[in-house]
Amino acid sequence: MKKPSSLLFEDHFNIPLDYLQKILNISLSRGGDFSEIFLEYKLYNFINMEEDIIKETAESISLGLGIRVLSGEKTGYGYTNNFSFEKIKKAALTASSISSSHERKKTSLLNSVQFSHNFYPVLKSPHKESMEKKISLVKKAYLSARNFDPKIKKVKVSFLDQTQHLTIVNSEGLLISDARPLVRLDCLAVAEKEEKREAGFSGGGGRVGIEYFSNTLTPEEIGQDAAKEALNLLEAVLPPAGEMPVVLAPGHSGVLVHEAVGHLLEADFNRKKTSIFWNKMGKKVANCQVFIFDDPTIPHFRGSYNIDDEGTIPKKTLLIKKGKMTGLLQDRLSAKLMNKPLTGHGRRQDYTCMPIPRMSNTYIDRGEYAPEEIIKSVKKGFYAHKFQGGQVEDSGKFTFSISSGYLLENGRLTAPVKQATLIGTNINILNNIKMIGSDLKFGPQTGTCGKEGQQVPVTDGCPTIKIAKMTVGGQK
Amino acid sequence: MKEEDSTYLKELAESLVAFGRVNGADEVEISILDGYEFSVDVRLGKIENLVEAGSRSLGLRVIKDKKTAFGSSSDLSRETLQYLVKNAIKRAQLASTDEFSGLPPLSPKGFNIPSLRLFDAEIAKLDSEKKIALAINTEKIALNDKRITNSHGASFETKEIKTTLANSNGFLQEYEQTFCGISLGLQAGETDSRVEDYWFSSKRFFNELEPPEEIANIAVERTVRQLKPRKIKTQNVPVIFEPMMTSWLLGFLFACISGVSIYQKTSFLVDKLGKRIGGSNLDILDDGLMPGMLGTRPYDAEGVPCQKTQVINKGILKNYLCNTYAARKLTLKSTGNSAGTGVTPNNFYLVPGSIPPKEIISSLDKGLILIRTLGHGLNPVTGDISRGAYGLWVENGEIVYPVSEITISGNLGEILNNIEMIGNDLDMRSSVSGPTIKIKELTVAGQ
Repeated sequence: MKKPSSLLFEDHFNIPLDYLQKILNISLSRGGDFSEIFLEYKLYNFINMEEDIIKETAESISLGLGIRVLSGEKTGYGYTNNFSFEKIKKAALTASSISSSHERKKTSLLNSVQFSHNFYPVLKSPHKESMEKKISLVKKAYLSARNFDPKIKKVKVSFLDQTQHLTIVNSEGLLISDARPLVRLDCLAVAEKEEKREAGFSGGGGRVGIEYFSNTLTPEEIGQDAAKEALNLLEAVLPPAGEMPVVLAPGHSGVLVHEAVGHLLEADFNRKKTSIFWNKMGKKVANCQVFIFDDPTIPHFRGSYNIDDEGTIPKKTLLIKKGKMTGLLQDRLSAKLMNKPLTGHGRRQDYTCMPIPRMSNTYIDRGEYAPEEIIKSVKKGFYAHKFQGGQVEDSGKFTFSISSGYLLENGRLTAPVKQATLIGTNINILNNIKMIGSDLKFGPQTGTCGKEGQQVPVTDGCPTIKIAKMTVGGQK
Repeated sequence: MKEEDSTYLKELAESLVAFGRVNGADEVEISILDGYEFSVDVRLGKIENLVEAGSRSLGLRVIKDKKTAFGSSSDLSRETLQYLVKNAIKRAQLASTDEFSGLPPLSPKGFNIPSLRLFDAEIAKLDSEKKIALAINTEKIALNDKRITNSHGASFETKEIKTTLANSNGFLQEYEQTFCGISLGLQAGETDSRVEDYWFSSKRFFNELEPPEEIANIAVERTVRQLKPRKIKTQNVPVIFEPMMTSWLLGFLFACISGVSIYQKTSFLVDKLGKRIGGSNLDILDDGLMPGMLGTRPYDAEGVPCQKTQVINKGILKNYLCNTYAARKLTLKSTGNSAGTGVTPNNFYLVPGSIPPKEIISSLDKGLILIRTLGHGLNPVTGDISRGAYGLWVENGEIVYPVSEITISGNLGEILNNIEMIGNDLDMRSSVSGPTIKIKELTVAGQ
């Protein structure tokens, strides 16, 4: 048995390797095809500033492990944060209860897998930076928003850094570890004018060190952006209502790809035939300009990872090529049942959850139109600028919520518009994409996606896009 | 960790409070959650997932010189916990002095926890086979209906939670509670024209759960009634909210009357205390003391006794719902709604009227029954609502067809003033709940 090098779970978890081997054996003692232990040690720091003061700080430690047994389509799962052998054994027996074949399966000897890539190199682990340094970032963002304009009345800034150490071992002999940093600086600004009040949000971060806030996005920019949005909304009109051409701004509008396409290409929904895409592999589902990727390997992005939460090295996956469906996001269970290769999209919120197919960084690739040309082509329509989020159902019906946009009149952006909802059915909308811009951008590094109660960090992106016709829900 | 007796967590909490005080904290609060969960998901008659686990976590707050720091851990070794307490005391110095910070004073009130009916001893005794069979039966009944074409599966879950709270003002209490629930998600129609919905029952006591037949039949009915939807033209019409939709609306209202959003000025209801914000038919309460209900608890996360609070009385805003900090900021009293730094509803509900829901539908000449919403689109700062929606179209008091791909938009402030009818069908299905209501007019956007 090789001793794993860099990230020693023995340091973090204080469990000898032969113990884990023993537990894997116990977990397959009633049969089953596969078993796995996911060990997690997570540290986080949090700072909150409001009412002109550093209101509080927090520190959190989370330590635990989850044991999974797969038997056909069935999954047994047990977890514990008590690392006594008895408690771990109990979790293993719980997981094992899913199988009743009593055919004892042999586990392979654990063999440490090293990988040479690192999608999140940092100068210093953000966890190890001093609190004083982090507080100074918070104050900078806060003051930039607060002092931006006298109409800015309230500001709230929070900073969060998290380091997740994880080790995965399984009955096929895999032993693999990773440490993932995650940082986020957020600002909320509230502007007031007469009786009117509006809020603006902004933020940034990713799997980065805090040098990001000097090199990529400064706290001052984050503060000013939030203030600008709040002020802009004070002047905004109510959105129009009805069907009309819609132009999506680059970056933020990636939410559309995430909701309208990404979720329904997660393998579990297709294996279970609940997704509208389940019988459409290789078929045309979108306008032929459309290419959609999910790429967990983009350096420093929130959605990126060196290994997924099943220990698979992830791959950039082409989901839609020239408008045709070409791929699904796979985890181990679905890939096995569907007899497809792994893509490295098995993710979980933490050790209490079993992994399921998830997106990472999802985007529509760039097209050939200049963004100005796209805007110019619309006589009367809606320009979706900033997104709050979206939701989709397996039937393909989806919505997304826009916190700010503009009216599009005679090829120009005119009045700012607040709080609108776009709604549609995914295949309709994908076919109604008429122009794709050359200006691919990614949304802010603050996104979190929820599925079956599990939250994971994600990023999404797209260039400027024109949709010929879409329902805009407004009040006019 | 060695085997322990039933007072172990209380003693651990108490000793950490003392440890914090000895190490220089002015005030210390320790809370411990000791939970056990079981869940089984079945789909198309077979088990998909089975989860069973126990876990613990501890949260702490220390205050020194009116400066606050928090910590939490799922590693309950004394070594880790003492490190966290010490580090929090050190870190507190980095926060600003905040005259509003601090623990609530010790309430002289005693607690009669058994009378609140929070714990069902039966739940721990249920055997796995029975729990699995319940989920399988629930789904099976639904799948027998030929209109159902696919299933998201059925689940049965139970939770047993013991909460321990100690602070340096002398508070030391713990209580146990249980939850159990069945849920079922279904699809109807062919692949390219599918509709879907779900139904559930969630209770503290196993024998109060609704039977599988009832859950399955309602889930089927809610799903198939959406088949063959039409699109409608954009228009302003009266809208009836089904109880689940009223609950959703009340969840948004809660965010707007939370003392935290009031002092942060992120609510449209800032400075509205004592003022009319709704029609005179509108009464809304938050009651933490209703025996056996999902949102019931003896005291909140800071140990402040829960109470029955009038939130809106005959349309007048009577109280914001506060934790201790928000209450001090607003010079009010805590209403026992603390969830740590935030607030949470206890049993937050709209007082039902006397009209049967059928009569409300018959009263509608032309309009929409809102049955589901999709997406985000709630802005507490302005009260603006904009959401994707599903509904049933009503003409001359009769449901004529389902509609989809629409959005509804309006403003919560206006909605509260335009509730024309309130149903008699409050069922307290969740901790935030309301009956069927009829709103005078909302914008429904379609084609």
